[in-house]
Amino acid sequence: MGDSLTPQLSASFAQAFGSYLGRGKVIVGQDARISGTMVKNAIYSGIISVGCQPVNIGICPIPSILILVKERKAIGGIAVTASHNPKDWNGLKFINEKGLFFNHSQIEEFLDIYHQGDFSLVKVENYKSLLYEKNPTDPHLKKLLKYLNVDLIRRKKFKVAADCYNGAGAVLVPQFLKALGCQMILINTTLDGAFAHHPEPIPENISKLSRIIKEKKADIGFVQDADADRLAIVNEKGEPIGEELTLALAVKYILNKKSGPVVTNLSTTQAIDDIADEHNAPVFRTKIGEINVVEEIINRKALIGGEGNGGVIFPELHPCRDSFTAIGLTLESMASSGKSISQLQEEIPKYYMIKDKIDGTPEQAYSMLRELKKIYSGKEQISTLDGLKINFRDAWVHIRPSNTEPIIRIVAEAKRRDEVEMLLEKFKKEILGMLKWK
Amino acid sequence: MGETITPKLVMNFASAFGTFLNSQKVLLGRDTRVSGPMLHSAAISALLAAGCDILDLGICPAPILQYLVKRLKAKGAISISAGHNDSNWNALTFINQEGTYLNDYQGEEILDIYHLGKFKKVSSDRLGKIKTQKDYLDIYFKKLVQFLDSETIKKANFKVVIDPCNGGGAGIVDIFCQYLNCELVPVNNEPSGYFPHDPEPRPRNAQEVASITKIVKANVGFLLNSDVSRVSVVAEDGETLSEEYTFPLVASYYLEKKPGLVVTNHCTSRMIEDAARCFDCGVIKTKVGQSYSIQSMIDEGAVMAGEGSGSVAICEFQLAFDGFLAMGMILEMMARKKKKISEIAEELPKYHIVKEKIYCPPVKVHSVVSEVKKLYSHQEVSLSDGIKVEKEDGWINIRASATEPMIRIISESCSKEKAQERLERASNFISQLV
Repeated sequence: MGDSLTPQLSASFAQAFGSYLGRGKVIVGQDARISGTMVKNAIYSGIISVGCQPVNIGICPIPSILILVKERKAIGGIAVTASHNPKDWNGLKFINEKGLFFNHSQIEEFLDIYHQGDFSLVKVENYKSLLYEKNPTDPHLKKLLKYLNVDLIRRKKFKVAADCYNGAGAVLVPQFLKALGCQMILINTTLDGAFAHHPEPIPENISKLSRIIKEKKADIGFVQDADADRLAIVNEKGEPIGEELTLALAVKYILNKKSGPVVTNLSTTQAIDDIADEHNAPVFRTKIGEINVVEEIINRKALIGGEGNGGVIFPELHPCRDSFTAIGLTLESMASSGKSISQLQEEIPKYYMIKDKIDGTPEQAYSMLRELKKIYSGKEQISTLDGLKINFRDAWVHIRPSNTEPIIRIVAEAKRRDEVEMLLEKFKKEILGMLKWK
Repeated sequence: MGETITPKLVMNFASAFGTFLNSQKVLLGRDTRVSGPMLHSAAISALLAAGCDILDLGICPAPILQYLVKRLKAKGAISISAGHNDSNWNALTFINQEGTYLNDYQGEEILDIYHLGKFKKVSSDRLGKIKTQKDYLDIYFKKLVQFLDSETIKKANFKVVIDPCNGGGAGIVDIFCQYLNCELVPVNNEPSGYFPHDPEPRPRNAQEVASITKIVKANVGFLLNSDVSRVSVVAEDGETLSEEYTFPLVASYYLEKKPGLVVTNHCTSRMIEDAARCFDCGVIKTKVGQSYSIQSMIDEGAVMAGEGSGSVAICEFQLAFDGFLAMGMILEMMARKKKKISEIAEELPKYHIVKEKIYCPPVKVHSVVSEVKKLYSHQEVSLSDGIKVEKEDGWINIRASATEPMIRIISESCSKEKAQERLERASNFISQLV
């Protein structure tokens, strides 16, 4: 949401949230956006009015919030964040008592209560006070350090450059890297709500970090997004390795230890399947959306999963995207193999991916997809789980309407750059033809 | 506001105030009521959205908040408190840049904005910011100590019992006593918001203070309301003085030093008129309520204002009813006159004042009040605020409360029996109507 997230609206959402989940503690966290304070206070008042007790945890990474909700036995949590969207946007993410974001049916039930305005207001004498949690990242940090081979990583005395993107990650990164015995060069760690660059951790936005890595001869560079659930990696040469590889590296490292199911979405690199094949591990693909991946990870009792946007999900710690887990696994992988990050990068099967979009309404997209399905079903291996994915030999294309904008997203991947460019052009042409024809 | 209070209601009023202030700086304070955090966070959210920077003083008595508005160069303040009302009530009180309650015109403007619902909303880079200020109590108390003859008070080494009723004054009365070198014996001094009795400084709520004051051999006892705008006094012998005494006690001392016009309301004891007469000072009467008294004090150039509810304002100190000031003045009077508080009270003329409030549904108030007029049709009636009938020996006032669905009756006379008799007559009459 942009300007529309008013105090009144935020309070109503909080009232609906408390009415939906019942009485108890509600963890309220935020990223560093300026409007966080305004929205959070509205949430406190809404939460209190329905007899719940808000717990203010201040600016906190998303994975830390999710873990805290579960550890503190809260009835749920609300995260005030707009993730990778521009700084003047803000939004709310609703968390259930298991420390998971609401799934689709929970969101629908919750929205029903919101729209009906049927809030379970309590009498003033049953109001709870506002609580503060001083060290909200502690349970998260404890889990990380318990799982990771800290001694092994410490011995390497890695020199790590990190760009916290003026986001919530900055509250935990120094503590975490210190515990891992790393020398740190940190940039963009002030939490003033003015983001240093465009929030997407894509190569164009990390030139400053690249320069620092080269100048200071760092072993690796990390870039978090605003709420610290996603991670991009920059190698010791100052080159971004690409977000798709954040997950691929983590999957490869975990499967090396032990084989087991892997879950990712339809638009994530095929390198995941290649790595899994080496270990005889099954890969399950889901619709786009973090909660879809998380639910499938739980259903399949997967070892690891995630998204190609730098979101690593490692359920042994907590089933959520977590940039800190990704940092930890990457450093541990470097430490145990004795290889540099660029050497590890070389070991991942090489693919080229292009993400593109075409203007188109949901109606246009629907009929276009129906046509495409007719053409390709039987001819190629297809999936209609989310839009249409067509798998060729060592290449694929995934076409789906966006949930938030009137556009059609196209992602294509192949072994060679010219190959993927050709594939994308072919499908864009085909789709545009169909849209015009309509 | 009682049970009907919701976050949205609070936000809409705070949004209206933020719109009225056109995104300028606001102070925010509350008392300790259980509903305080809900109203407080709702108000913060709405003010920030309207682009107002907030200086949040947390739990802060109203007179301190009012003093700091000007001192800290804010354009207004919101005090979240329901003063003397019971613990389930709460309200927003809007304060202008002079540190006084909004006057009628300003109040109307806020209501217009509220009803129109067209609230100012700024873009995210212009949202207000919230800050806190740690030394705010010291800023206020330094000023108070400067105003009082604090050297004389300090030398007196008073022992003082204070009951802030676990309200906004809880914990802060300790600082008041430190500044004046008084030994504090605190009662109900936890900022918990759980009121052990109604937070109205009246004899029936003063039992704890009254029983302790004599036992610990304190020089005086004080009872405060939840925002420290009102005080009542307990004498060293454990005798509870009516809250009507507070204003005349302070006035009889202050007017001697600085004679001038005095403002009070139509329901306050004649003691104040007698006290003013001693120093040839005139008395102006207004409607009940801090905003009317203070506005009149400013408009008429009066030196002080107060009400029979235990409220006192002194113009040269600040334009607000101030319980700390009232306590300070009484301590100064005791120290300078070298007299016990019971002796000073004894010097005031004796009246008997009795009060009662009767529940009346809001829809009936108007018809009840006009019926009551008929009861006194053969007498001379003043209608400036409710119905007031003056007698040789006293008076009776009957009016609808501005804050609760109640009709208030106050009757005063030199004779206890007459005061009681008049009260009962009116009370029976109204009870039959309701």
